[in-house]
Amino acid sequence: MSRRVEQPEVNLEFPPGAADPPEWVSRRDFLTLLGAGAAMAAGACMRRPDKPILPYVEAPADVVPGMPLYYATAMPLDGYATGVLVRSNTGRPTKIEGNPDHPASLGASGALEQASLLELYDPHRAEAMRVGRRRATWDAFAAAFAPAALSRRVGARGAGLRVLMPPTTSPLTASLLGRLGEAYPDARTHFFAPLASSARIAAARTSLGAALVPQYDFRAADVVVALDADILATGPFHLRYAREWADRRRASPSAQLHVAEPTPSPTGTLAARRLGATWSAVAAIATALVDAVHRDARSTGRVSGTTDASGGALTPDARAWVAAVAADLAAHAGHSIVVCGERQPSDVHVLTNALNDALGNVGTTVWYTPPAVLNDGGPDHDLSALATELRTGGVDTLVILDGNPCYGAPSDIELSRVVGAVHNTVYLGAYDDETARVSTWHLPAAHYLESWGDARAYDGTTSVIQPLIAPLHGGRTADEVLAVLAGQPNNSTHDLLRDAWNSARGQGAPTTESDWSEALRRGVVAGSAFARATPAVRGDAVAQARATVAARGVAREQIEIGFVPSHAVHDGRFADNGWLQELPDPVTKLTWDNAALMAPAMASRLGVATNDVVKLQVGDRALDTPVLVVPGHADGAVALAMGYGRQGGEAVARGVGVNANALRTSQAPHVAPSAAVSRTGRSHELALAQTHWAIEGRGSSIVGEDGEAQRSTASSVQPRKRRPLTLYEPKPPSRDGFGADQWAMVIDLDVCTGCSACVVACQAENNIPVVGKDGVMKSREMHWLRIDRYIDGPPDDPRFETQPMLCQHCEKAPCEYVCPVNATVHSEDGLNEMVYNRCVGTRFCSNNCPYKVRRFNWFDYNGEIAETERMAKNPEVTIRARGVMEKCTFCVQRIRDAQMASRLAGDPATGPVVTACQQSCPTQAIVFGSLTDPESEVSRQFGDPRSFSALDELGTVPRVRYLARRREADSSDSSGGRAR
Amino acid sequence: MTTISAPRSDPGSNGSRAHAQLERYPIMRELPDDGTLTTQLLAPLWTSHPAWKWLFMASGALSLWFLFAMGVTFARGIGAWGNNIPVAWAYAITDFVWWIGIGHAGTFISAFLLLLHQRWRASINRLAEAMTLFALVNASLFPILHLGRPWFFYWLVPYPATMGVWPNFKSSLPWDVAAISTYFTVSLLFWYLGLVPDLAAARDRAPGRTRRRVYGVFALGWHGSGTEWRHYRVAYTLLAGLATPLVVSVHSIVSLDFAIAQLPGWHSTIFPPYFVVGAIYSGFAMVLMLVLPVRHVFRLHNVITRRHLDHIALLLLVTGSLLAYSYLCEAFGAWYSGDLFERYTMLTARTRGPYAVFFWIMTAVNVLTPQLFWWTRLRTNVVVLFVVGVMIWIGMWLERFVIIVASLNRDFLPSSWHLYAPTWVDWSLLAGSIGLFSFLFLAFLRWVPFVPVSEVKREQREIAFESAYVDRDGAMPEVTR
Repeated sequence: MSRRVEQPEVNLEFPPGAADPPEWVSRRDFLTLLGAGAAMAAGACMRRPDKPILPYVEAPADVVPGMPLYYATAMPLDGYATGVLVRSNTGRPTKIEGNPDHPASLGASGALEQASLLELYDPHRAEAMRVGRRRATWDAFAAAFAPAALSRRVGARGAGLRVLMPPTTSPLTASLLGRLGEAYPDARTHFFAPLASSARIAAARTSLGAALVPQYDFRAADVVVALDADILATGPFHLRYAREWADRRRASPSAQLHVAEPTPSPTGTLAARRLGATWSAVAAIATALVDAVHRDARSTGRVSGTTDASGGALTPDARAWVAAVAADLAAHAGHSIVVCGERQPSDVHVLTNALNDALGNVGTTVWYTPPAVLNDGGPDHDLSALATELRTGGVDTLVILDGNPCYGAPSDIELSRVVGAVHNTVYLGAYDDETARVSTWHLPAAHYLESWGDARAYDGTTSVIQPLIAPLHGGRTADEVLAVLAGQPNNSTHDLLRDAWNSARGQGAPTTESDWSEALRRGVVAGSAFARATPAVRGDAVAQARATVAARGVAREQIEIGFVPSHAVHDGRFADNGWLQELPDPVTKLTWDNAALMAPAMASRLGVATNDVVKLQVGDRALDTPVLVVPGHADGAVALAMGYGRQGGEAVARGVGVNANALRTSQAPHVAPSAAVSRTGRSHELALAQTHWAIEGRGSSIVGEDGEAQRSTASSVQPRKRRPLTLYEPKPPSRDGFGADQWAMVIDLDVCTGCSACVVACQAENNIPVVGKDGVMKSREMHWLRIDRYIDGPPDDPRFETQPMLCQHCEKAPCEYVCPVNATVHSEDGLNEMVYNRCVGTRFCSNNCPYKVRRFNWFDYNGEIAETERMAKNPEVTIRARGVMEKCTFCVQRIRDAQMASRLAGDPATGPVVTACQQSCPTQAIVFGSLTDPESEVSRQFGDPRSFSALDELGTVPRVRYLARRREADSSDSSGGRAR
Repeated sequence: MTTISAPRSDPGSNGSRAHAQLERYPIMRELPDDGTLTTQLLAPLWTSHPAWKWLFMASGALSLWFLFAMGVTFARGIGAWGNNIPVAWAYAITDFVWWIGIGHAGTFISAFLLLLHQRWRASINRLAEAMTLFALVNASLFPILHLGRPWFFYWLVPYPATMGVWPNFKSSLPWDVAAISTYFTVSLLFWYLGLVPDLAAARDRAPGRTRRRVYGVFALGWHGSGTEWRHYRVAYTLLAGLATPLVVSVHSIVSLDFAIAQLPGWHSTIFPPYFVVGAIYSGFAMVLMLVLPVRHVFRLHNVITRRHLDHIALLLLVTGSLLAYSYLCEAFGAWYSGDLFERYTMLTARTRGPYAVFFWIMTAVNVLTPQLFWWTRLRTNVVVLFVVGVMIWIGMWLERFVIIVASLNRDFLPSSWHLYAPTWVDWSLLAGSIGLFSFLFLAFLRWVPFVPVSEVKREQREIAFESAYVDRDGAMPEVTR
């Protein structure tokens, strides 16, 4: 199987005679040549990894052309693995889906996992090794950094050698770092990621007595309280949490989510009680909750050392929220979860641990495990210590293994300058980015789809990372570089991995050949999760945390700036990814930019509006940023997404947004407690994928709720049916009709977080182009599936509505009868089909579509893409030409695949069809299937009392139905924390 | 020298005073004998006005710019325009409806008024018909231009394709193709048929061999025999009969491009009559804009009299008032329907939405300005007429813009609402189409007899003949020698 096909000479791709005049070429000859050419082209394009990798299910003898194969691997992000299944079409990875066996995925995949595919094919990736300005080779690097050569520079004990890398969970990397330590006892390794926080570990050390991280089981929770924690859409386990929470909501509609957060997050939009509170107010709220829960008789009341004065710092709204939430928590003691976000200081984590402890949640819904990240929270995770060393000049060689720290480091460290001053710097990075530009050596990093490796999930479960394709640009992995440093230059990562796992015998690592195969196939090493711990909280730590929080107080006059991860580009790692840059923010719908998010009240006090540029000042650091006014944002807080304002060589990322790191300091890397905001008088137009948030009193037609009217009724939602009367009532779909199947979809708005994973999944599956900032500003996004966001009601405490909107496949489609050329027609199985090659592009269909889900190819979007990007295209889906309409097809290619498979199998019923959006959905809010099967989930949900059709009164009879969100009746009278 | 005045068919009746008022201006005055008249009316063919060359070159340059903007559209795609989703139609369709509406006045004058025996049409019908044709040239360009794949425009035509696919006859766009192509064909035939005797006259009087030959070819061997005239009259009247329903049908069908959609602001049964009225209205405004300068430059005050101006102004008053009624009905219908979306679009978005300023300009111009023509003095004031003509011309463009863009940009789901802003290509196509129109019209003025010589002479005879029976005791105004 080991065959690495050499790229043949171009002129050899055509057999002799192919260029001869065509007179003698008969039809038969032509077809022969065509077939031969296609075969050669296909063969030449295969970039198979040179070590055996194993497909997820059953390995066929070889690739069957046209038949995709799925392989399990894992994507590491901030060190944590998320298991994925990658579809490979004739050797090209074309789609990433979740791995049902992996604890961080449970079959779902987030927007970042989905979009990491495009990163693999990014034409702006670094393509060659270089030293200085000259090109270099791996052998030259291996020679220069072998212990024999390197020890002359850094000393025999490696006193002059430092390694800087992102936090890692990889057992292999850990073992290589151990070997490095053996070779150079005085060398040090540091870990840095812009978003990483050691607060949680520090809190565990003080309150639990050990470095532990909390784990949750939302399936067992009746009340979840998230304090500045976007549990459902951010973080290493968010896919799992979202799934668990959705399962809980489905099983028990009375399960409630309460959120106090500074800036609206997908989690917050789903909250029953949501409170906009600044970061410092969230800390005070945590204290108040501890007090309130302690006072409540129904609680077990084990928290000691609390006094009664914490509520004073809070606003009336916050006090009302605390009272209601505390009552709810106490009523569900033992079946509740309190989660605290990464940006909160360790004291608040201590209080959260105390709350869970007091409520008796520990052991049922909450438990603790050791951290998966190597030395998590340890001193080697402190970047400023390394910077100090570099500044004092004792370091000769700095090896930076990915992560682009020169961009992501807090500005007071001035890492670019410091690293630039080091004599000998090696940077392993995928792009010619900020760090590459100050490094002596630049080695292109391999993408995870090109690499061997391993990584742990948040709960410790180990996965093998297996490559789907040989490195496109000769990239290398961090492990390979570490192997060179440790004196094992010729070992491939595959062998290193096998070695490391063999030496870890007895620790659950697969050692036998069949274990290894099983680990590759399933994508996880069974039973490798960490053991649970349920330590008790130390009372003195809680008292001290209370005192610290109380001493800090709530900033009333000052403005806090929080640096939040971007839902699109994360910490900047995905900045060159067009899919993600164009992915609208789940809440604000902002694309191709970051902005200073602030509350309407704050904006009006400052005299600014959306698009006005303000100057943010933290100490003597300033940053000019456009404003985006967001209802529901905490007054006094400004949220600024990280990962923008890139200055490296990435063509897509460059110049997009502003660099939040310019305001971050190593003392306050997550929240700047006292900042100033001032007007500049300039403006910068933001590209918002949705420019109108108000629902204009149409809620009952669009999202199945009557807004104000709904609130007075009970929580059992029964959307009104408004379909107009007709003499020609359509027959209910049945097998006696035209087609055997009648496809339909149901989307449950009660669990949809708006996380937008489905948007990217659809983009990847259906070859949807990117239109750029200008295109978004002109409202020319091509997304077949978009997430509509309505923010209505009082600006300080609005209602958030989330609605995935895609082609509704109307039974009486308004688009069909207006098309002059019959380019959009109905199929027998109920699909509204688009005939691309018949479309002339009048766009009448779009004008007549009340859902505005049709997309037009304004330019030749696919004509100008790079050769590598073409490789990312799904061969099952037509590439659309300029001037034609396109829209959601219900993944017709997957439907036809399933139909063919069932026909070949002689099965009268079509097997399950999973659309791309459905597959990715972490909450399983999307259900797809045939209405002719009365047993199918979609049939059942079509008849659900909560089901409704959007714009039902138009009589379009959509095949997509929504399940209305269940909101609680308004029980409290205050405005704060009102039940929504 | 004969004495000519308007006929008084019913002297002494109750309405005589009003009638006299109407008949105050003669259709023609101070007309010389036939020969001199022919010489006067054909004179522009032989001599060029000094300003003509510059205007011709300027409009030619603008037409080339039109061509360039079209090239940009074809080469880069519709993305070169400002269109988006939801506003998938914008300037091009606005321009299309506007131009095709303008065309209507020509057919109305030449066919409708012919069948209704409105004699005053004779002096200006050729001009108006030419306007129709050239407006139609522009109007038929825009639907093709606005296609995503314009090279397949013929798929909208029902031709026996080998694949056996037909256009979708449920869609109004193939109706459009049929309506417009019929309209263009009939208008061209009608215009050319009317031209034949005058081309023959031009052939007979042309100085120089080349021009004689060229006009000779186009005159199709006409020599004015009685048989020829008899056939000619029959054919002309038949064509008029064919063209008359087109005045109503074409713009009705164009209106269905909007009315068959379910978009609030489009989905309205009043659209066909509303559009027809609006079309004639805008067409007459353009007739005024063309006739007034031509009359002034070529000193045609004897064939295009104040009577003509008065009648055009009256037609503007009538159609303008009908249009105002349509506006009112449309808004009332939206309110009366009780439909949330209709009400929002027609009552809120139109009057207070992002394009409200255009709505109010359009309403002010189209509803209020024609009300000036309740005053006789203003109906014959050349400056007022010209200014009002230009205002309505622009106002009617805005009307179409408001109907199309202000309906599309805010439809059912507020999430998809988005503004539209034109690009330079949009503006170039609009300006270029005006350039092309001017270019064609200037060529027409230079090389084609733009006042129908034979018809003027015939009307002159008929009027003279009838006036011999008119009671001379009546208040016959302005009888000339």
